[in-house]
Amino acid sequence: MFETDTGGAQIQLRALTKQFPGQAEPAVDSVDLDIPAGELVAFVGPSGCGKTTTMKMINRLVEPTSGEIRIGGEDVLALPPDELRRHIGYVIQQIGLFPHLTIGENVGLVPKLLGWDRPKAEARTEDLLALVNLEPGEYRDRYPRQLSGGQQQRVGVARALAADPPVMLMDEPFGATDPITREHLQNEFLKLQKDLRKTIIFVTHDFEEAIKLGDRIAVLRNQSHIAQYDTPANILANPADDYVASFIGADATLKRLALMTVDEVPTEGPPDPALPQVETGTSLREALDLMVANGTDRCSSPAGVLSYTALCASIGREEVAAGDR
Amino acid sequence: MTAETLRAAAAQPTNLRYGKGLRKLITPVAIAIVLAALYVWVGTLQLDSIEQRSLNSAVIIQKAIEHLRLTVVATALVVVIAIPLGVVASRAKNRLITPFILGTANLGQAVPAIGLLVLCTFVMGVGFQTALVGLVAYAVLPVLRNTMVGVQQVDPALIEAARGMGMTKGQVLRRVELKLAVPAILAGLRTSLVLTVGMATMGAFVAAGGFGELIINGLKLQRMPVTIVGGVLTASIAFLVDWLGGLAEDLLKPRGM
Repeated sequence: MFETDTGGAQIQLRALTKQFPGQAEPAVDSVDLDIPAGELVAFVGPSGCGKTTTMKMINRLVEPTSGEIRIGGEDVLALPPDELRRHIGYVIQQIGLFPHLTIGENVGLVPKLLGWDRPKAEARTEDLLALVNLEPGEYRDRYPRQLSGGQQQRVGVARALAADPPVMLMDEPFGATDPITREHLQNEFLKLQKDLRKTIIFVTHDFEEAIKLGDRIAVLRNQSHIAQYDTPANILANPADDYVASFIGADATLKRLALMTVDEVPTEGPPDPALPQVETGTSLREALDLMVANGTDRCSSPAGVLSYTALCASIGREEVAAGDR
Repeated sequence: MTAETLRAAAAQPTNLRYGKGLRKLITPVAIAIVLAALYVWVGTLQLDSIEQRSLNSAVIIQKAIEHLRLTVVATALVVVIAIPLGVVASRAKNRLITPFILGTANLGQAVPAIGLLVLCTFVMGVGFQTALVGLVAYAVLPVLRNTMVGVQQVDPALIEAARGMGMTKGQVLRRVELKLAVPAILAGLRTSLVLTVGMATMGAFVAAGGFGELIINGLKLQRMPVTIVGGVLTASIAFLVDWLGGLAEDLLKPRGM
């Protein structure tokens, strides 16, 4: 299934529609979307806008009324649904670990459904637990209720990755965790995705999360109509309309600065030890924060001195670049 | 992580486990004491020939076997009938027939058992099978109801996760829903078993044997010791079966819950 490598497969939605019986309007109305292989696309929109329904049609937990879904060019609606789902990772907000199975058994479930032999499935389980930073020897034989919420969600991610699916669907996976755990999980997940390059659809109503994790963001309005579909930087720089702008909130420029690092801005002269210091990889937002906190208009990175003017110019250039697209 | 290890350890302190183990022994010890007392008491009585005909080890063992056979076979039939019906009744798409299933099961318990046995006798004559029909009709409800509720109370998120991972509906039922409903089903089965032990005394009315025969004979012939032995033995079996059911619940309930 899916004659591509497991690194990720392209997803195409064509005129995808879902009409629930007894409702006047379709819940999802003729969505067209191309999701490039290996990218994480965040679906953002208010509750009830159809973002989850759209996602669930891809693994056919919701059967589309009409339209077309292709994964890696293959027609999803022509495949047997249960077999299809074994090749699509699925993570939900409530995690849904089976309380009567150990962590190891939970992670090894899909390989078992796929008929892998035992040593292969067990080796895979160990690798995956290590991948999500859970020491296999310590956690494999525990039961879900013995783990914290954050640990459980890591197991949820590991379980979804078990059969190395090219596509993953994630429905507000970090929504139920506290802010500190959420940030931690997001960072870990970003690092993971950098290596795995899965094609991921990530449903969230948190725009900040979408900016942080998404290679692209699809801002959805009612009936899953796409208000804007672009990279986070471009959406922040050029929101398509007031609706998208209202999602971004008042500090769009600061959010854009957060997406760039000091290494992307041209510096002047050699580093100056007398100025506030930033490290490579620091976001421009943090650099600006440092300048404001110290009452200066310059700070120094290992590459050289960074000025407020250069910082503003970098946003301007970004805007021109976006306009060229 | 260390905190969690501690929490897991604190959940089952050693002394509590011992306490639980001791409490588990109370029932069998009490039953043994009651049976021993009964034996001693009967031994002190001067039994007349009528009483001797009932109160000897050969008769009592035979009645015990009949009684247990009725109970075991009826319970086995209840399991075979009630669990699948409970699953059928739990499915949302069957909600139109669920009231009929539950209604019929309710009827089995609501209709006076003796009346049901008499009606069955008209159709099937007397004997083991007639008693069985009455017992099964009476004991189906707890298992059926608990199976239905046990399956329905499974967290919908677990079912969604299971479906999302590619389990077929049958696999979700067997590996998730029924597994998680095991504690509820066992609790229902335990209730049914105890009901059946008690109801099996009615088997005597349709010549199916069991301790009911001792009770009824004792009453008819005005031999109180015979009635008392039959009654105490029936009660002892009921307690014993309840105790075994409790052990089974502990052993069979899924770990991790």
